[in-house]
Amino acid sequence: MPDTSSHSATTASIATATKVDCRNINVFYGDKQAIFDISMAIPGRSVTSFIGPSGCGKSTFLRCINRMNDTIENARVEGQVIIEGENVNTDAVDPVLLRSRVGMVFQKPNPFPKSIYDNVAYGPRIHGLARTREDMDAVVQNSLTRAGLWEEVKDRLGEPGTGLSGGQQQRLCIARAIAVSPEIILMDEPCSALDPIATAKIEELIDELRERFCIVIVTHSMQQAARVSQRTAFFHLGKLVEFGDTEQVFTNPTDDRTQDYITGRFG
Amino acid sequence: MTKLISSPGPSRFDDPEALSRLKKRHAAERRFRLYGQLAISFAILFLGLLIVSIGSQAVSAFSHHQVTFHLPLNEETVAPNGPGDPEAVEENISGFYQLVREDLARTFPEAGETPARTREVNALVTRLAVIPMARETSEHLDWLGETRRYRTALSDDLDLYLKGAVADEIEISLAEILRAEQIRAEDSDAPPRIRLTSADEFASLRDALARASALTADRGEAGGFSVLVQNGANLVRLLPPYDSQPLLFEPMTGTPANLAGGKPEARIILLPESARNVTDRQIAWTLALQEQGRIRSSLNWALLTNSDSTYPEIAGVLAAIVGSLFTMFVTAAIAIPIGICAALYLEEYAPKNRVTDLIEVNINNLAAVPSIVFGLLGAAVFLNFLALPRSAPLVGGLVLGLLTLPTVIIAARAALRTVPPSIRAAALGLGASKTQTVFHHVLPLAAPGILTGAIIGMARALGETAPLLLIGMVAFVAEVPGGPTDEATALPVLIYKWSTGAERAWEPNTAAAILVLLTFMVVMNAVAVFLRRRFERRW
Repeated sequence: MPDTSSHSATTASIATATKVDCRNINVFYGDKQAIFDISMAIPGRSVTSFIGPSGCGKSTFLRCINRMNDTIENARVEGQVIIEGENVNTDAVDPVLLRSRVGMVFQKPNPFPKSIYDNVAYGPRIHGLARTREDMDAVVQNSLTRAGLWEEVKDRLGEPGTGLSGGQQQRLCIARAIAVSPEIILMDEPCSALDPIATAKIEELIDELRERFCIVIVTHSMQQAARVSQRTAFFHLGKLVEFGDTEQVFTNPTDDRTQDYITGRFG
Repeated sequence: MTKLISSPGPSRFDDPEALSRLKKRHAAERRFRLYGQLAISFAILFLGLLIVSIGSQAVSAFSHHQVTFHLPLNEETVAPNGPGDPEAVEENISGFYQLVREDLARTFPEAGETPARTREVNALVTRLAVIPMARETSEHLDWLGETRRYRTALSDDLDLYLKGAVADEIEISLAEILRAEQIRAEDSDAPPRIRLTSADEFASLRDALARASALTADRGEAGGFSVLVQNGANLVRLLPPYDSQPLLFEPMTGTPANLAGGKPEARIILLPESARNVTDRQIAWTLALQEQGRIRSSLNWALLTNSDSTYPEIAGVLAAIVGSLFTMFVTAAIAIPIGICAALYLEEYAPKNRVTDLIEVNINNLAAVPSIVFGLLGAAVFLNFLALPRSAPLVGGLVLGLLTLPTVIIAARAALRTVPPSIRAAALGLGASKTQTVFHHVLPLAAPGILTGAIIGMARALGETAPLLLIGMVAFVAEVPGGPTDEATALPVLIYKWSTGAERAWEPNTAAAILVLLTFMVVMNAVAVFLRRRFERRW
């Protein structure tokens, strides 16, 4: 982790310094357009939440940032995704390298059917981040500690990650994501499969993690967006309707559609 | 519907209409369960019938009768090139067979009377049955000059006779025979006749003869049976007509005078001599040998340790097993890696378009192509075009490999599809490349399924006969093949070949070979189940 934090230390003074600058993003699934010309500057070291009704394109837009849409057949992403001044949405950037800088946590906890240790160590191993066994142990412990899971699993690192509870599994997935020292962590409805207590723990964790990472979270829960994020983007029918400080979006939305959605009139 | 809307009152548990509907639903459920149980019992019944019928036939092949010989190993007969040449001893089948023939001639001097009768007695032991004897002796050349005890297979027909598979018999004990006199015929060339005086005037024998006449008359073979009277190693045959007064007999073997005293027995063989492969005289000799303790039934290891032969009593499945194993190795080497690679590519890499759709449809069609077509393909491509050796496991394995390939691909694709996409997403999201994702996560998770499919495909290939016939693996192979390019045959082909054998003794042999094949299949399926249980992961 130290290299990431020192790297972004120069921009840390401005909390709203742009980390990911998306310009004119259009996404097509075959002939169907899913995202219509969205531009958005996502700040670093804060939590940005994407809200909107189902099928509005918020997950699709999220997946543009680490180019997971590339793995979907027929999906085509146009526009620029500029991370730290570099457009990553080109063939010149290998998505494999991009994804080591942009981690992802999925809706359903999806640990590998391997040991807890191997789950966390897998990313560092394929990216060659730890040379010795000791280094790797340190990375694993560090990541699990930061994901708030170390105390619960330190005595059973050899047990399968799939044997943990749902909330623990999701924190394991977060530990796995941060083990490769990404700069950005994308979370696609990370709490939708969890109970309220596990959700609270994850939200707490997100709040801690934003001191080091740029976090983008897709959520269906407006309370969650209000609780954890500093910036909120409201999507509707593939278009970005409103993007601003969370407080402003929830208390004083500029667009009627946002108003209607957050007051529960549709969605 | 309208009723429901018009009377939306609260539903009751005792509403008769609802109860009758419920009853119908329960009846339908019970009916369906019954159908299922019937179907399963039907399947189990037939499986049971199959196993019982094959098993009961095979049982007689797993034991056989052996004759004991004490043979003087004189050097000139046994070791034509002297004691320094064990190979010549091993190949000296005629020498050993001569010893056997001489022994039989000593035991049954009456057989020397005519050349036809000599041939008859020699047929008790098949010429090639002395091969193990020759091999054993060639390893112990210090035995030369000694008299050694050997045991060798009885001829298949007599073996079957002793197992009761040739003809029905009536066996009765007779009252003591008081006197046996030889009647000189007026014509001195005619065979001697024996008149026996029985304590009860053969009352029991005459009863039995009447029963036998009735039995054979029903079959339209009146008088078509033989009667042997035995006391110890002495046997005589009843001469027709069977109702003459007194009953006259002709000598078979031993000394007729010795029939007097003791406990004589009679056996009525309910099949005319002309309708069997064994003559009355051969039966008499066999019974005499048995009486002398020289015939014993033992486990027929030869069935597993010998290779094919033209004589069922010494034929075995070893060469076919080895041939099948070589074939399976080649099949596995072709079908499993290619099948897995193809499945991986189609499932994980290939773009979904017309071309891959076409490939998919064709693979599914290929799995349904009759196996004999693959045999034709193998004959045309591997034998004619590539000029690979005929009858070789290499070619058989290639053909069966092609045959198994679609099965393996389909099974592997199904197994790959069961790996949840979330695992792929997790690995890709961590920055693993496509290939890393596949080899680190997807393939290990799909491996048990893939292996199960592959083994079941192999088990199917193991039982394939038709394609092997076309590439010449039906050849008669008496030598255990030493490699995949040697001439060989395979178990199912051997079964096919044996089942067409003319002699009755092939029948139990065929059943036994089927049991061996089934054993292999059960083992392979058990391995598949074990692998699936052992490596199955849950997520």
